[in-house]
Parts: sequence; structure tokens; C-alpha cells
Amino acid sequence: MPDRTTPDAAPDPAEPASGTATEPVPASSLGDTLVGGWDDRGEELPPEDWGRDGRQRRTGTVWLFALFITAMAAGHAWLSDQLTSQAFLAWATIFTAISFQAMPFLVFGVALSAALTAFVPTSVYQRLIPARPNRAVPVAGVSGALLPGCECASVPIAGSLMKGGVAPAAALTFLLAAPAINPIVMIATAVAFAGQPEMVLARFVASLLTAVVVGWVWVRFGRADWLRLPSHNHAFGDSRWKVFRESMLHDTMHAGGYLVVGGLAAATLNVMVPREWLLTVAGAPVVSVLVLAVLAILLSICSEADAFVAVSLTDFSPTAKLAFMVIGPMVDLKLIAMQAGVFGWRFVARFAPLCLLVGLLSTFLIGGLVL
Amino acid sequence: MNRIAQGLTLVLLGAAALTSTVATDLYLNWVKQSFGPFLIAAGVVMVVLGVLVIVAELRGEKEAAATGGEAGRAGGVGEEASGAHHGHADGHGHDHSRAPGVAWLLLLPVLAVFVVAPPALGSYTVESTAGSTGPPPEQPRSGRFDDGLDEAAPDEVVAMDVRQFVMRAWVDEERGMAGREIELTGFAVPASEGEGWYLARLQMACCAADAIVNKVRVLGEPAPETDTWWTARGTWVEPEGEISEVSEHEFEILEMEEVTDPPDPYE
Repeated sequence: MPDRTTPDAAPDPAEPASGTATEPVPASSLGDTLVGGWDDRGEELPPEDWGRDGRQRRTGTVWLFALFITAMAAGHAWLSDQLTSQAFLAWATIFTAISFQAMPFLVFGVALSAALTAFVPTSVYQRLIPARPNRAVPVAGVSGALLPGCECASVPIAGSLMKGGVAPAAALTFLLAAPAINPIVMIATAVAFAGQPEMVLARFVASLLTAVVVGWVWVRFGRADWLRLPSHNHAFGDSRWKVFRESMLHDTMHAGGYLVVGGLAAATLNVMVPREWLLTVAGAPVVSVLVLAVLAILLSICSEADAFVAVSLTDFSPTAKLAFMVIGPMVDLKLIAMQAGVFGWRFVARFAPLCLLVGLLSTFLIGGLVL
Repeated sequence: MNRIAQGLTLVLLGAAALTSTVATDLYLNWVKQSFGPFLIAAGVVMVVLGVLVIVAELRGEKEAAATGGEAGRAGGVGEEASGAHHGHADGHGHDHSRAPGVAWLLLLPVLAVFVVAPPALGSYTVESTAGSTGPPPEQPRSGRFDDGLDEAAPDEVVAMDVRQFVMRAWVDEERGMAGREIELTGFAVPASEGEGWYLARLQMACCAADAIVNKVRVLGEPAPETDTWWTARGTWVEPEGEISEVSEHEFEILEMEEVTDPPDPYE
């Protein structure tokens, strides 16, 4: 059956990629196709007074920021010493910690994704990734092992893969696999679970299995209009560096803004949810697995650190700890918010529950077999 | 959010990252020391990107003024354009020169750094995670401890992390710490019940969100002020029975000295 997830506007493979370095990215990019209809809105569109209006707006913005910085200086001078509430400070510490921990990964991911958008012609993807989505999904899953980063980096990269013409299902598999099975995460898991290599193996297999199954499910049932594909309406004359800059700015603003939303939610839950009640359910076989899966969603811990937290939850069974490490990098508050920013809420409302379900099933399966 | 605002937000965010790493050691309150270079790099990238965007925008303004406006540049084109764009494109395309409102939230970490300057987690976190003390996260086989106790001369005072002390107390079946003088550094946390107080230290794998509490119950000295830092010399109170079934480890203090906050509050 035809791949319904491949957007109609997918670039024509026959169209040659740009030949020389100075030429702009070929017009075959999805963004151009999507926004192509704008050209005919044409000549009368920018009214003459827009230029001046824009300038006033910009002056206003500058004043707004000047005011903001002044207010911050005043707050720094007078307010800082007044903030003594222990709970508030603990919350602020965790919020800042999540934001600053994710920031280097976000910048790295955004830069890599911008580089893919600006400098890698779509023909490269078509050569590397199989055209048939069913076959592209496992390839994408395994290549997730190559990206050393956490989930914050993989969201914008998955977006730019889709823009490059990779089947959405394969890009989503990559999105799920990359933060869960890359070498850094595997080493961190091995360090945390010293003397338990079966846990590292179980994590690798269960995560890869989840990513690939979700990809195949998306090939079969996914619909292109659920995804708001990231588009960049760079004009034809834009240089590659400008495309790079614009793409980076766009991704930082979208993914970064939602990262803060996720950080706020995770910090609030981290401070407010007492961990004692976790212990009361630790003994129950299935419930404990579900509880740690929910905890992974709420705490939104970076995939490079979650193994250390999992190992500290000593009252729980190995399968429950596995669930914590399989679900965490695929579904969590921070990630849901970022995916919504890049792909839209219609997508997240379907994708996150699917990942959770498949992730839990594969955790029970692999946990039962290996642990 | 127009492009000038986006550029300025990036510059402020980068400035916050650089201030907390280069100008101060604030970042150690939130993330591991090894994150420092990456935060500096990220901060530089954001400042540079922000400045480039602002410069391009101001230059674009001149061009636009000269040519009477240019649709593709869409710099300060305003809500009408992006609104219409959204309506028409059915959520597929979006006017990418404007960022969504949620991007304003990127100013929150800036506020957090410059106004709140959040301190390291301390006694509040230790007390609110009271019930969750379990065996230590890492379980090395006996004889493979990293605390230097085995290498030290028998009458030497051994300085170790609270983490290492707890691990030793929990898994060392040979009870290598018995009778040895040990030095621990941590902050004071009052005990809600029972004798003595706690000397605690938080262990962090990546950032403060994953901090794990390590604490020992301290005997032999009256409880100092909460959250003050102390270096305490003393001995392990050997428990009776199986060591793996002990829920709390005790430390008898011989001498203790207040210290100013160590530069890196986590282990």
C-alpha cells in the first residue's frame, strides 16, 4: 500500500540537487512547496506604511527590553535577599538546573539540524535512507545509536530530517531511538548499573524495539495531516549561511520556549510529589512498573542521567526500573511540550500515548525475557 | 514575538549562561562541573546568533526602507500577515520570522539567574525526601571502594565523601571502617525524631533534578544551625547484626569545624 505518511509535497527525486556551492538550496524543499502559494498574493500585499509601522514596533521592542533589564537590575538589588522561602528556592533551583542542563544539548541539536537543513541536499538522504518507509524505519532506529545527545537535541533534528524528505515514520523512529540508545546513554547506564550488564542490554533492546514498532505503526496508520511539518520559507536568493541562521533561530525559539514549559512542570512536580508514597506501591508487580513509567514522564530527567535515578529506586523491581529508562527518553513533560512546539498538538495527542503504550509492552516483554 | 525581541532574548539567555559560568560559579549549584565548558559554548553561540539576527534585522530595515518594503523579508510585517498566513496554510506553514508567544518564556531562566540566583539544594530537599533512603545507588563488590580507606595507613584520618561513607557502611561486609578515624564534609539537617542530627550531602549525576540524598546520623555534638557546612572528624558507629539491614548509619563525632560553603556543593 502507498505510504500515507509521506507528504504529497515530497520532493521529486528526479530533480537535480544544487550543483555549485553558491547556488541556493534547491526549490524542492518541502517548505518552499508549502509556502509556494504565497507568491501569487503578490504585489499589493505590503502596504506602503508597513515599513514605518515595523520600525515603530521595533523601537517599542527595544524599549520593552530596556525596561525588562532595568527591572531585573532592581530585582537583583532589592528582591534577591527577600526570596527566602525554602520550597520556592528548591523549585527555582530545579527549574534552572533543568533549563541549563538542556541548553547545551538544545543548542547542539539546533545547530546540527540547521546544518542538515542548510548544507545537506535532500538527495543525500534519499541515497542513505531506503525509500520504502517500512525498510527506512529500522535503518533510522539503528542510526539513532550514532547521535550522542539527549532528547532535547533529537526533536529539532527529526524535524529537519522530515524536511529533507525522510519518511516521517523513519524520522520519528530516529527521534525515539537517538536519546535512548546512543553510546553516552549506554555508558551512563553501564556505570549506574555496575555489575548488571543485562540491564544495559535490556534497555538497548527494549528502546530500539519500541522505536521501530512505533515507526511501523506510524507507517501503517499515521496520517500526514496530523503533523505540522516544520517549514522554512527561505526565499530563493538566500545564501546557505542565512538559511542556517534562520533555521537555528526558528528552532531555538520553538523548541526552547516549550523546553521552558516542560522545565516548569517538571520542577513543580519534582518538588511537590513526595517520594514516600512511591515506596508504598513498590512491591506490587504490575502497578510498580506503571508507577515508575508515570514518574519518568513527570520528572523529565535527561536520558543521560536517568539511569542514576533509576538505580536509586532500589525498592522497585528491575522491570520497573527498565520502564523508567525506556519511557523517560520517549515520553516526558519536557519532550511533549517540545514536540508540540515543533510538530503541533494534533501530532502529540496521538504520538505520546502510542509511544507510552508500545514502550510499556516492550518493557514487559524484554523485562520478562532478560531480567 | 518579532525578530528584534527574538534576538534580544537570545542575547540575554546567552548572557545568563555566561554570567553563571565565567563571571561566577553559580552554575555549580545547578549542574555538574563538567557542564561548564558546554554551557560557555552554548552561551557564546546564543549571544552571537542573537547579535547576528538583530544586525540583519536592522540592516534589513534599511534595505526595506530603500526599496519600499519587501514581502519575503517580512521583518516587522505584523500580525495581519502571520494571522492570514496561518488561516490560509491550515497550520502547515507559519510565518517564520515571528516566533510564537511561548518563546517569551525563554526569559524565565534569565530572570532566575539574575534575580533569584537559586542556591544549591539543601536541608529542605533532604527533609522532604526523608522516607526514601535506600541502599546506595552503586554497589561495588567488596574490596573495590573508591574512598581510599584501604590505601591509607591504619592510624591516618581518611577524608571521604558522605556517599562513600554510606556505601562502605552499607555493603562492606568486612567492616573496614570500624575503629578508623574518618573525616566527612556536609551540611547540617535537623533530625525530626531520635537522637542527634544529620550530616548530609547531595549526589548529582547530571543536574539538580536528579539529586540523590546521602546522609548520616551524627551523635556526640549538639545540632548546629540548619544548612551550615561542617567538616567532622569521627568514627563509624558499628551496628549490631547484618549491615545490609541497617536503615541509618551513625557517626560519632570527635571534633568538628565549620567550613564556608565548598565551591561545588554536590558530590
